[in-house]
Amino acid sequence: MEDKMPILSVKNLFVNYGAIQALKGVDLDVYAGEIVAVIGANGAGKSTMMSAIMGDVPRAGGDILLDGKPLPSKSFQVVTAGISLSPEGRKVFAPLTVYENLQMGAFPLKDRSLVAEQLKKVYHLFPRLEERQGQYAGTLSGGEQQMLAIGRALMAMPRVLLLDEPSLGLAPIIISEIFKELTEVNQLLGMTILIVEQNARKALLLSNRAYVLQTGKIIMEGDSKELLYNPEIEEAYLGGKKK
Amino acid sequence: MDMIIQQVINGLSLGSVYALIAVGYSLVYSILLFSNFAHGGFLVIGGYICYFVLKGAGMNIWTASFAALIGAGISAVIVERLAYKPIRERTPVTLYMLIASLGMSIVIENIFVVTVGGRFRALPPVIPTQPVNFFGLATTSAFDLLSLVTAIVFLAGLQLFLSKTKWGLAIRAASYNLRTAGLMGVNVNRLISIVFFVAGLLAGVGGIFLSVRYTLYPQLGMITTKAFVAAVIGGLGSLPGAVVGSLILGLAEMLTAGFISSQFRDLVVFGLLIVTLIVRPTGLFGKSVGEKV
Ligand SMILES: Nc1ncnc2c1ncn2[C@@H]1O[C@H](COP(=O)(O)OP(=O)(O)OP(=O)(O)O)[C@@H](O)[C@H]1O
Ligand SMILES: [Mg+2]
Repeated sequence: MEDKMPILSVKNLFVNYGAIQALKGVDLDVYAGEIVAVIGANGAGKSTMMSAIMGDVPRAGGDILLDGKPLPSKSFQVVTAGISLSPEGRKVFAPLTVYENLQMGAFPLKDRSLVAEQLKKVYHLFPRLEERQGQYAGTLSGGEQQMLAIGRALMAMPRVLLLDEPSLGLAPIIISEIFKELTEVNQLLGMTILIVEQNARKALLLSNRAYVLQTGKIIMEGDSKELLYNPEIEEAYLGGKKK
Repeated sequence: MDMIIQQVINGLSLGSVYALIAVGYSLVYSILLFSNFAHGGFLVIGGYICYFVLKGAGMNIWTASFAALIGAGISAVIVERLAYKPIRERTPVTLYMLIASLGMSIVIENIFVVTVGGRFRALPPVIPTQPVNFFGLATTSAFDLLSLVTAIVFLAGLQLFLSKTKWGLAIRAASYNLRTAGLMGVNVNRLISIVFFVAGLLAGVGGIFLSVRYTLYPQLGMITTKAFVAAVIGGLGSLPGAVVGSLILGLAEMLTAGFISSQFRDLVVFGLLIVTLIVRPTGLFGKSVGEKV
């Protein structure tokens, strides 16, 4: 994998909020077809990194490349270039229906038949969304809203799908369901996924490779399964030894 | 009985013109979360364009209204680009935009005072105002019926635009969360321009009818205070609310004028506002659907 060019590459990324340095030189690569996880505690800068990739917060330094080419800095151009985000806290459009939310996700697509095709794929992955397509998104359960947020991001037919804490506030059984569906998204659609999570165990089980972010810096990276059994990681992020 | 029907028609007619103004104002509010006090300026711009195209260029009313609507729409976009965009790109605090809009409303008013003068002008008699018999029930004026019908056509057009088109959907999404709409690949600046264009255009329609009703002068934009009140009564940011609030206000004004005294009109208007704010501060159609986190 290392000899190929990464599909998404973050190089020496800095982001400041006023005087606060939220990211202090983050480097990260995502290769086509893989699932990459970024784990880290509250306030480590995970969401900030996602927002910076999406052009939703300004970068103070560094480069972000998609297929080796600099990613534009405005959100709408980033989406058109091929990256979409399922944001932290889901952010579904509550007063719009499920169907309308999905149509919003497809906003950059010009070709209506492509939209219809993609909608079929999303409904196939998340049959519950199809059942509830006329329902207002604000009346969905938390788990359904998360599915909608992921489905909505998929509607843009991205090259890379970004997921910010899809497990947030959900019951363990729902989390398992969503993570199973993410595996399907990766395998059935061949979708490249970058996921950030506080739920480190789930994220490491799902992903191929992972990075550990701590106060704005990557402090460790490697194969997810190896990180899962790394004593330091176990201590800091997996709640100590379980066995 | 005749009198009641007549005043109801007049009230609906006036209310529907308020609705054109209130809906645009509410649309802008729902996206940018500030009260655009320059909104009245757009209707004055529409009124003067209509006047000068009719008088100066000797065109017919269709050409003149078309020019007025497009001109009002474009000036709204220009005001946004000049006065609000630089602010919203620097700070999330919407109070600054509100203050800028107060400034812009003064600027627009004074541009007209300086260039064309402050005198009252009557539009040439191109819009019929003769009395007509309304299905044998009452006598009303052709003007009232025309403004009612026109307002309905434009409001229905707006509704179709918002519910059936891609940008309409994006505007509804953005009125819930502008930032998230941006994450969907919507060019937020273009969306805001479209919203201002639509708001300006609708104000332009209102401007033409108000110029006929009250004559045209640089301070005619002050009338938008009524539309603001209507939007608040209906629930700020809610478009059905803006329409219903406007109709209530128009009816209240005309019934007061017809049965009590014209002098009490404004008293009733602000009385309604105060009662609404006490009984139901979010207005009749105030936002309630929340987001589950
Ligand atoms: N809009 C903002 N203004 C100021 N500081 C911010 C802002 N957003 C985030 N921060 C700060 O930046 C740091 C990183 O925040 P970020 O939201 O990226 O963390 P996170 O890793 O996503 O945390 P969590 O797991 O709680 O979502 C934190 O110290 C946070 O307080
Ligand atoms: Mg976060």
